Amino acid sequence: MSSLSKPWLHIRLPVLESFRAYLHAPVLPREKPYLASVPVLIAGALVFQLLSGLVLSLFYNPADAFNSIQFIDRSVNYGWLIHAFHETGTTMIFGAVYLGLFRALWLRSYNAPGEIVWLLTLAKFLLLLLIGYLGYVLADGAVSYWSLANAIASAFSLSGPPGGIGVWFFGGPDGAGTLPRLAVFHAVLAVAIIGILLLHHAARRGAEPPVARGVSLHPYYTSQIFAAFVIYALIFAVLVFFAPHLGENPLNRGPANPLVLPSAVTPPWYLLPLSNTGHVFSSAWGAFFAVAARIALLAALPWLDRSAPGKPPGFRHKFLILLLALDVVLLCVWAMQPPSLIGGILLAVFTAYYFFHFIVLLPITTALEAR
Amino acid sequence: MRRLLLAAFAIACLAAPRAQAEDTLNPPHWQSEGVFGSYDKAALQRGFLVYQTVCAACHSANALHYRDLDGIGFSTEQIAALAAGVKLSTGPATLDDRFKNPYPDPAAAAAAFGGAIPPDLSSIAAARPAGTRYIFNLLTGYAPAPADLPLLPGHYYNTAFPGQQIAMPPPLKDNQVTYADGVTATSAQEASDVAAFLTWAATPNLDASREIGLRAVLFLTFLAFIATATKRKIWRETV
Repeated sequence: MSSLSKPWLHIRLPVLESFRAYLHAPVLPREKPYLASVPVLIAGALVFQLLSGLVLSLFYNPADAFNSIQFIDRSVNYGWLIHAFHETGTTMIFGAVYLGLFRALWLRSYNAPGEIVWLLTLAKFLLLLLIGYLGYVLADGAVSYWSLANAIASAFSLSGPPGGIGVWFFGGPDGAGTLPRLAVFHAVLAVAIIGILLLHHAARRGAEPPVARGVSLHPYYTSQIFAAFVIYALIFAVLVFFAPHLGENPLNRGPANPLVLPSAVTPPWYLLPLSNTGHVFSSAWGAFFAVAARIALLAALPWLDRSAPGKPPGFRHKFLILLLALDVVLLCVWAMQPPSLIGGILLAVFTAYYFFHFIVLLPITTALEAR
Repeated sequence: MRRLLLAAFAIACLAAPRAQAEDTLNPPHWQSEGVFGSYDKAALQRGFLVYQTVCAACHSANALHYRDLDGIGFSTEQIAALAAGVKLSTGPATLDDRFKNPYPDPAAAAAAFGGAIPPDLSSIAAARPAGTRYIFNLLTGYAPAPADLPLLPGHYYNTAFPGQQIAMPPPLKDNQVTYADGVTATSAQEASDVAAFLTWAATPNLDASREIGLRAVLFLTFLAFIATATKRKIWRETV
């Protein structure tokens, strides 16, 4: 039919042609490691999360949240499986997110021309934390309920714009309307994050150095990403079926009681690496500034790092990053413990080291390395 | 599939030689524990009997329906007969009724027990750290209070309960139920069985989860080898 050599559909839908060109253009560097596909894994896992979340949302009723989840787990066909997918999917995504953050620090990929990639990685991380926390709150278990009540009380105790935004976000005091409102935010933000993922992808492509003789996306990187996905899915399957409640506070499996405070109100595990410094401060303002300062430091990383562009990270840098990771892990461990004098001192020391690393150690060592 | 599961179970058994073959009480252990755990349906049925005769007099299990009992190996006829013996305010219970709540509302329960509402048992085994063991320890943990511990009025000393003072009187005695399968109903046996039953009540899909999981993990392991081999083969062609 067509007088041209192009397939029938490609003439009528030119975007297919550009997709083909995108797949086959030999512009990608050779032999990127498997770990370089972590952002793609996160994107795929988020799509899976959207699908399982869609199924859950068909049965979830925020006005009777805990009982509707019991209904999903016990009476909906394979509802327990979809629920476990969604719950463990969160754990897997944050595992991948933290792996990606560690890798960026280790390789210093935040340096020019990767600044925008890094800022978008951070934006993705923070948005995911917010979505994850909202999902945790929607479970409406004994711990989620009190965690939300504390968060709302802190929002009310802050004055000025931070408090105003917090109060607006939660829609006022904890009440009948809170969970329906947060359920909408949970879903809307989960869709909105796709936009950040696309921007992130475009920025990553832009930050890659031009290659003389590259390879195409297909079949080289598609086969690599497929293999990475299968391994990701294997770990996921082991967790879903054999350790479904990993990292979860068991008290949260019981119904909320507004009159009984659970013995431990813990945040979900993925929030701890950022929120742990908040445990050093007893006031809402202190916790707010500690977390805000940590985010600001991470965002300023490309400018705090004084190393010469293109220079591979040295031994000293790798040692300091390992030390920083250890510091964050210890912070999490001690933030989980019940309050004590020694715990308070250790938390303060580890927090101080965290800030010392970014404000003093990192600029000095990188400047020395660059000389 | 069953064969695979049996094979995995056999491997697990070989890997961990068991001290006692049949005795589940010395030391206490449950078939549902561990990564390859599954439910012992005989224990679940005995546990249900204990639940129905003893626990259900004061505790609700609102998330459970009588129809769910097919999960512990009862036939539909057995469940129907069992439900018909339960009198709800609307008449005899049917398969689709929830487990009978002994009190019409929490206020009535609070009034009956001096404010200490008996907790709902649907998910209690999941909602406590090491829930199965906790329930067993709690039910067998009653002891005379130490002389220097002043007990609150209407409370009992229990070694497993947080704070050691529990409002629930010791619920189990020897031979409180008569097991259909001839197992001797010591109070420890009853506690062990009801702990098994409540574990099932909290996680009724454990068996299905392990069964699907084994299939999924085997398939994905196989696929992982193929996928990495394919990737290598494709990359070998680049020069």
